[in-house]
Amino acid sequence: MKNIKKLLYLSPIALLMVGCAGGNNPGIEYAPDMYDSKGYEPYNQLDSNTLNEYGANVRRPVDGTVALGKADYAYALPNTGEGYERSATEVSMPAGLADAECEGKRLYIMYCSPCHGVEGKNDGNIFKRASYLKPGAWGDGYQNDYIKNLADGQIYHTLVYGKNNMGSHASVLTPTQRWQVIAYVRQLSNGNVDCDGSVVVSTDSVSMASDVTAEDVQSEVSDSTKNEEVH
Amino acid sequence: MLKTLSLIFILSFSFTPVIAQENAENGKALFETNCVSCHKLDKPSIGPKLRKIRSKYEDEWLLKWIKNNVEFRKSGDERAITTYEENNQAAMNIFANLTDADVLDILAYTDTEPEVAEGPAVSSEPTFFNNYTKYLLMIVALVLLITFLILFRIFKELRTLRRKQEAEANGVTYEQAAQSWWSKNKEKFIIVNPTITVLAGVTGFAALIFVPWFFWFGINKVGVQQGYAPEQPIAYSHKLHAGELGIDCQYCHSTASYSKSASIPSLNTCMNCHKGVQGTEADGDNINPEIAKIYAALDYNPEGKPGEQYGPNRKAVKWVRIHNLPDLAYFNHSQHVKVGGLQCQECHGPIQDMEKVYQFSSLQMGWCIDCHRSKKIDVENNNYYEKLHASVKKKLNSVDSAEYKKQYFKDGKIVITPSMNGGLECAKCHY
Repeated sequence: MKNIKKLLYLSPIALLMVGCAGGNNPGIEYAPDMYDSKGYEPYNQLDSNTLNEYGANVRRPVDGTVALGKADYAYALPNTGEGYERSATEVSMPAGLADAECEGKRLYIMYCSPCHGVEGKNDGNIFKRASYLKPGAWGDGYQNDYIKNLADGQIYHTLVYGKNNMGSHASVLTPTQRWQVIAYVRQLSNGNVDCDGSVVVSTDSVSMASDVTAEDVQSEVSDSTKNEEVH
Repeated sequence: MLKTLSLIFILSFSFTPVIAQENAENGKALFETNCVSCHKLDKPSIGPKLRKIRSKYEDEWLLKWIKNNVEFRKSGDERAITTYEENNQAAMNIFANLTDADVLDILAYTDTEPEVAEGPAVSSEPTFFNNYTKYLLMIVALVLLITFLILFRIFKELRTLRRKQEAEANGVTYEQAAQSWWSKNKEKFIIVNPTITVLAGVTGFAALIFVPWFFWFGINKVGVQQGYAPEQPIAYSHKLHAGELGIDCQYCHSTASYSKSASIPSLNTCMNCHKGVQGTEADGDNINPEIAKIYAALDYNPEGKPGEQYGPNRKAVKWVRIHNLPDLAYFNHSQHVKVGGLQCQECHGPIQDMEKVYQFSSLQMGWCIDCHRSKKIDVENNNYYEKLHASVKKKLNSVDSAEYKKQYFKDGKIVITPSMNGGLECAKCHY
């Protein structure tokens, strides 16, 4: 009886101490299963998975398979010097690439400018601080003949596999986005930055139509919500 | 004969100045602008290490290779082709802008002896001294503690002994004496002494108010992880990367604009920079221990042969999740980042100043609702709301309803909040 009374007195203090999150303590939850659920969820895993590699719940796609609508992710050229040389002639910008909303510029600033600088002069914050990363052959930026003479395909190849100190950006840019970035890099390289849909080549081709881009997802979401509002 | 001699004389004359002029200082400067992105002197990088490269290849060959290795390979030089293959076909750039003298300067620089590392003996002495002081203090503290305990024990024993003697003198046992003292004195403490009574009353009253208050406060913290800042497996600093270097959040959390989850970057994203960057200025030539953790997880050997640096024994980095919503609530990043155009900091706080990330917002429902009620949607410059905006304008023009106008207008301007667009519907987030 005495002990129960003691516990009662102490319970609010205990709750206060356990309940307050901070440091390594996430606090307590009413229903922990709601936070760390039994089902598999992205980026939420307490125990090591015994079946999958690396103990992760996520699995890599089966080798040789392509997700629906992602056929353009397939890239035939190998990550070798030979592949790089072949990319100059065998890979080219798809016709019908439209970038009405300056997506290329947005992506360039997001993914390229930390190193290559907002204006493509290799003066991004990272290159400023770690100048040893700067490409030796064209340290002054995209206006260098080195980039001007580079084929679109070679830039694409570099985005897919990386080159020298630059890593692969295939995991963060969809194929369409890669081409949008390349189109913008070309603008920076030629010194006539005009970001009002001027990179539209033509609109007949539907070669990239199967790719699900961020814009597609957005317009899909927006359509459904707009309908809700109207009805 | 004379002709040959004179030719040799002229040749030797023309060669000597070149050798004499080899300038390792200039070579160092050239090396640091042209070569350093792919080559290091003592470690293999993108290309092979270059210290004493002249012992492997002769100058003539190196000149041709450095200035235009592509042409050189095309000319069919066997060693050029094998060199290319040996280095994972990483084509070296063409350096046509470098003169022969420049290249020889660079080669002279590669011939220099490595700087002798500063002896660690200097630093070992203070460390020893520090340890010594620390241990000495610990021993002194321990001795003092033991002395205190012994003295306390002696004092206690002596006191008991004295009381026993007093009790025996009065003709009772020690236990009886102790009990009778309490029975004689307890009224003084509880009822008779007014100070103690008042104090007890005040304490009781305070407890009556504060205990429930504490209880309420404690219970409200259940399920709220605000302030949670767990130790992560790699001490990644958002302050350095997002703050000082100004890298966009979405460089790493790249799916935030088109996925439910903002995504934890896989290690290849780290390697985009950390293949080259192996530490800060403070680390010197050593690999930063936190960056070494990336390499360990990838089984990456930064000094390995190009193309064979990644080993097979990879491990997952087990990041600790901080922001976690219960399954009963649905949240989608793309809706807020891409459509709503919110900045990451509006919910996650000053991430760019956080050395270690903590949960800034409470993530409680009231917090969501507050924002959904008050946040103005920028309908004018957002394609997503084109239809909504048009329909609102059309309605406003066709229906002359004061109530309707009151809902959508503030100071003559259309104001739309998420709550007007279904942002308070239960089933939007709970389904």
